[in-house]
Amino acid sequence: MNPDGIYWPLPVAVRAGQSGVPVTVAGIGVEAVREEWLVEDRWWTPAPLSRRYFEVVLADGRNLVVFREPAADGQWFEQRA
Amino acid sequence: MTAPYVELHSHSAYSFGDGASLPEELALRAAELGYSSLALTDHDGLWGSMEHAQACKSAGIQSITGAEMTVIDRTRGQAVDEPFHLTLLVENAIGYRNLCRLVTEAHRDTRPKPDAEPLAPLLHLDSLEERSEGLICLSGCARDGALAGRWERGEIERATALGRRLVGIFGRERFRVELQRPFWRHDRARNRWLGGFAERLGVPSVATGNVHMHERSRALLADALVAVRLHGTLESTEPGRRGNRSSAMASPATMATRFAEHPDAVGESARLAERLQFDLTRDLGYDYPGSEDPSADPALAAICRARLGHRYAGMPERGEAARRLEEELQMIAKLGLSGFFLLHYDILELARKVAAEVRGRDSARMLLPPGRGRGSSVSSVVCYLTGLSHIDPVKGELFLGRFLNEQITDAPDIDLDFPRDIRERLIPRIHERYGSERSALVSAFACYRSRSAVRDFGKVLGLPAGEIERAAGILDIYDRPESVERDLAEAIGAQRARSGRWRALSALAREAWGLPRHASQHPGGMILSTQPLIDICPVQPAAMKGRRIAQWDKDSCADGGFLKIDLLGLGMLSAVERAIEEIARVRGESIDLSRIPLDDPEVYSAIQRAETTGVFQIESRAQMQMLTRTLPESIEDLTVQVALVRPGPIQGGAVHPYLRHKEALRADPGYQVPYEHPSLEPILADTLGTIVFQEQVIQVAMALAGFSPGKAEGLRRAMSRKRSEAAILAYRGDFIEGAMARGATQAVAEKVFEQVRGFSGFGFPKAHAAAFGLLAYQSTWLRVHYMPELLCSLLNEQPMGFYPPDSLVHEAQRKEIEILRPDVNASAVDCIVEPSLAVRIGLGYVNGLKEGDAQAVVAERGRGGAYRDLADLAGRSGASRAALERLAWAGACDEIVAEGEAGTAAARRPALWRLGVAAAAQRTPQGEQIALPFAAPSSPSLRELGDWELVVADYESTGMTIDTHPMSLIRPQLTGEPETSETLWKLPTDTRVEAAGMVVARQRPATANGIVFMLLEDEWATINLIIPPPVYDRHRMAVRTAPFVHVIGRLERRGANMNIVVDAMRRLERPDLPLAKVRPIEPPAERETGRDGAGERDEIADLGVSLPAAHSFGRRR
Repeated sequence: MNPDGIYWPLPVAVRAGQSGVPVTVAGIGVEAVREEWLVEDRWWTPAPLSRRYFEVVLADGRNLVVFREPAADGQWFEQRA
Repeated sequence: MTAPYVELHSHSAYSFGDGASLPEELALRAAELGYSSLALTDHDGLWGSMEHAQACKSAGIQSITGAEMTVIDRTRGQAVDEPFHLTLLVENAIGYRNLCRLVTEAHRDTRPKPDAEPLAPLLHLDSLEERSEGLICLSGCARDGALAGRWERGEIERATALGRRLVGIFGRERFRVELQRPFWRHDRARNRWLGGFAERLGVPSVATGNVHMHERSRALLADALVAVRLHGTLESTEPGRRGNRSSAMASPATMATRFAEHPDAVGESARLAERLQFDLTRDLGYDYPGSEDPSADPALAAICRARLGHRYAGMPERGEAARRLEEELQMIAKLGLSGFFLLHYDILELARKVAAEVRGRDSARMLLPPGRGRGSSVSSVVCYLTGLSHIDPVKGELFLGRFLNEQITDAPDIDLDFPRDIRERLIPRIHERYGSERSALVSAFACYRSRSAVRDFGKVLGLPAGEIERAAGILDIYDRPESVERDLAEAIGAQRARSGRWRALSALAREAWGLPRHASQHPGGMILSTQPLIDICPVQPAAMKGRRIAQWDKDSCADGGFLKIDLLGLGMLSAVERAIEEIARVRGESIDLSRIPLDDPEVYSAIQRAETTGVFQIESRAQMQMLTRTLPESIEDLTVQVALVRPGPIQGGAVHPYLRHKEALRADPGYQVPYEHPSLEPILADTLGTIVFQEQVIQVAMALAGFSPGKAEGLRRAMSRKRSEAAILAYRGDFIEGAMARGATQAVAEKVFEQVRGFSGFGFPKAHAAAFGLLAYQSTWLRVHYMPELLCSLLNEQPMGFYPPDSLVHEAQRKEIEILRPDVNASAVDCIVEPSLAVRIGLGYVNGLKEGDAQAVVAERGRGGAYRDLADLAGRSGASRAALERLAWAGACDEIVAEGEAGTAAARRPALWRLGVAAAAQRTPQGEQIALPFAAPSSPSLRELGDWELVVADYESTGMTIDTHPMSLIRPQLTGEPETSETLWKLPTDTRVEAAGMVVARQRPATANGIVFMLLEDEWATINLIIPPPVYDRHRMAVRTAPFVHVIGRLERRGANMNIVVDAMRRLERPDLPLAKVRPIEPPAERETGRDGAGERDEIADLGVSLPAAHSFGRRR
């Protein structure tokens, strides 16, 4: 994968509520959560995936996908929707 | 308060490759989570439906029957769209009948080519128009559902049209739009659209979970199963897998939360469940053919009374037989089973016709009955008179209660054994006679065991094929799932086995153990019905042409109360029939086995010396060791003998007391056999105080604990089921209470119950044992008086029995029977006995030789005379070049090589060389192009094959060696002073000994507490080894895989038995080749660091490369 590619996930600061749903992304409020999905895969490899994804609409009008990566110490990442 | 949610969409492992839990596991989990009902909707089948219904009943919840069908819309035969899924749920009996028919129809065209992989089942949408009544249709899953699948692909118009069509078929009352939440990216958008579309259609939407496993931990297995089904690796099948673990069963409250945006859809699941009250355990409505026939009672009585006079003419038992007949007829009429017996009678009459066709009118086999009854039916005088059994139950004092009693709730079992060739023809004839819609074979489900799991999951994990095979090779069928990790460690090294993918493989094999892998055909169980069977259980075509299989296994069929007839192909019956034909052909003697003397002293003498290799039932290592102690003297003794070495009597602790009492009685005829309680003496007298036969369990329960016949039979049935431990324990309290009420102490009551419980492994009814004991006697009689013919027929019926052909041949040679190798100028396709009474191996024994080629060689020899030389063979026989080379490699051309070499070890290489240049027949699209008979040129000077090369060539080409025993080649290289099978007999017990031999058999019986038994063969005879568990643990690889071994141990002699209790074992290598370079199995630690181990071709040398190949272990090809 090309790290410079437009879909490559980048770390982002996310504040999440008690249920784990993002409240702000990079300090900007989340207006709506459009979708929420899970990827739990590659369990047979040294790098198993377990991600909870959210497609959110931010207060500034942007549509983003963010996910939390437990394998990276719970770091959040953002991707283009 | 529990959320109003019911799971209406779940898959069990009977969705083969798309479900990772048993129906029982799903039902138990559903009950734990607080569900009131649970639907099972496996893909395109009802294989697990009865199991589901029974499990739900036990768990105290309502079962809902259904299936997720794959449907295609066709217009004038052309598919107009992609296939899609619909979830069909049964509302009432009409709906169930329709679902069975729909599933049957979906499978109808899945076997266009017999014996090829089946096609996927597919149902035409038009069929639903005709059979929608009584069914509720949900629009299907999120990925492939009729509506959701089209929405996913952006085909809104098609989805809309299909939705309207489905409403048209099922009406607004019975069609629902299905919403699912698999936690995929577009769940919310999809469900919003589906919810809106449902409103536009005017139907409710309903939430479902599409459950694929009962708990999250099985999700990994579910992934692996999908990859197996899609024939890919876990990586390559990512789009076809579920992607997360949310398809595990969740609680109603969790499901309500998942569908928080669609509360009505959650409530609709519970409202629908209220309507779905059809219960398979109650509403099946099955009757067997003849059950409603009012004339059945007098018809059966007339047949039996007419035959009674003939069968018992002039016999002292006639009066007793007449009394028993009337008693049985009365009971049969009372139970409404006359039609059942007439049906069996009808089948046997059909079998007679088939037998006449198969055997030919003038065959020596015509004297034999077409088949034989086995099982408890042999105890019935009605069965004896209608020809279902060939044992006189009055003379044999057989107990009827196990077979028939006034309280039986299911139809009794009747098993019929047929020679294989008759059975093959009989099954399609039964389909013809009763209609293919009213008869079917029973399913059997191949379940995951350690070996199949390692093979399947090793592949999907992308592990190296060679290592997977090596690991699978050391697993045996008795391995428990817990031992997989240890076995893998042994095969590939402990460190590697703990690494990434290998560790995953162990975990998957553990989880998969016991889950059904695929459906196949039961060996002979057949069910028949008055109404079309396809109204009560789906039926699908079998791999073999003309056969059809019901989707239920024998347990589900029994739960459904089906009439099941077991038509079993018994190799020994076929072998005995072949022997009789061969005796007639070779010696001109016509033998009627039903009239041979049953007290032949030569036969019993052979049995008592355990010279029983190749005979029925009493040939195994365990049986042989028992024979020299029990010393059978009569058919009655043999009846006990065949029943004794079975898991039931062994686990019930019957074997040693029986042997002790038998030996005590022989030493002192006045010896009093002890009984646990006086009431047991009349029941257990024949078996010297032990429980050996199944019906003794019933009799003991009746006599000691006061059980009624029906309740005692219930206990016996509980013992014979695979899901039975809880059921057996349920009887325990009543048993002990009953026994104590009849004067037994608590200790005795508990002890006897434990004996009964121990019997829950497999055991024979006495009648069955009597039938088998008789066949054991008859085959021993043939061995004693006609050994060449018996050997010849055993070789032709392989695979069967305990010994591979190689061992049978060596044993016969030790008995001075001459064995002749295959020869193009003397062999038939099958093995034959020559006029000199030598046994000639058939060309059919040559590995890889097509049957057509073997037939062509024999036919042309019959037409044009013996082949003069290799060119003549190549030119005339029509066999392909590959076939000729295989014949030459097997030594079948040794006699027609140039003079001087013919018939010698020097012949094989020149024969191969000359056939390589001789013109052979060519196959062309127009047929066979026969070659011109040009003379083959002389071969250059070729080195003669060495002794080992000849042995290897023999094993590779025929699976046996006739001239040289391989141990004679290994022996000069042996270090130390190993004893032979002969010299061991000269040593006293407890001597420390060394021995060596070729491994003939390995056994690790589940009943032997981890002990492994091995049988070695050397140039003179066989040697028994006992390998205790600690020794097995140290030498597992050698025990399981070595073809030749050297052992050290303690000689144990008891009477005529001799064993070596092994302390140490090592594999013997072939002496004349350099050994393979064996590197350490443990890979260096650094290789594992940071890697998952996949794809690494390890450099461990193949331990097998220096060993003789193709040692036969019972398979002919």
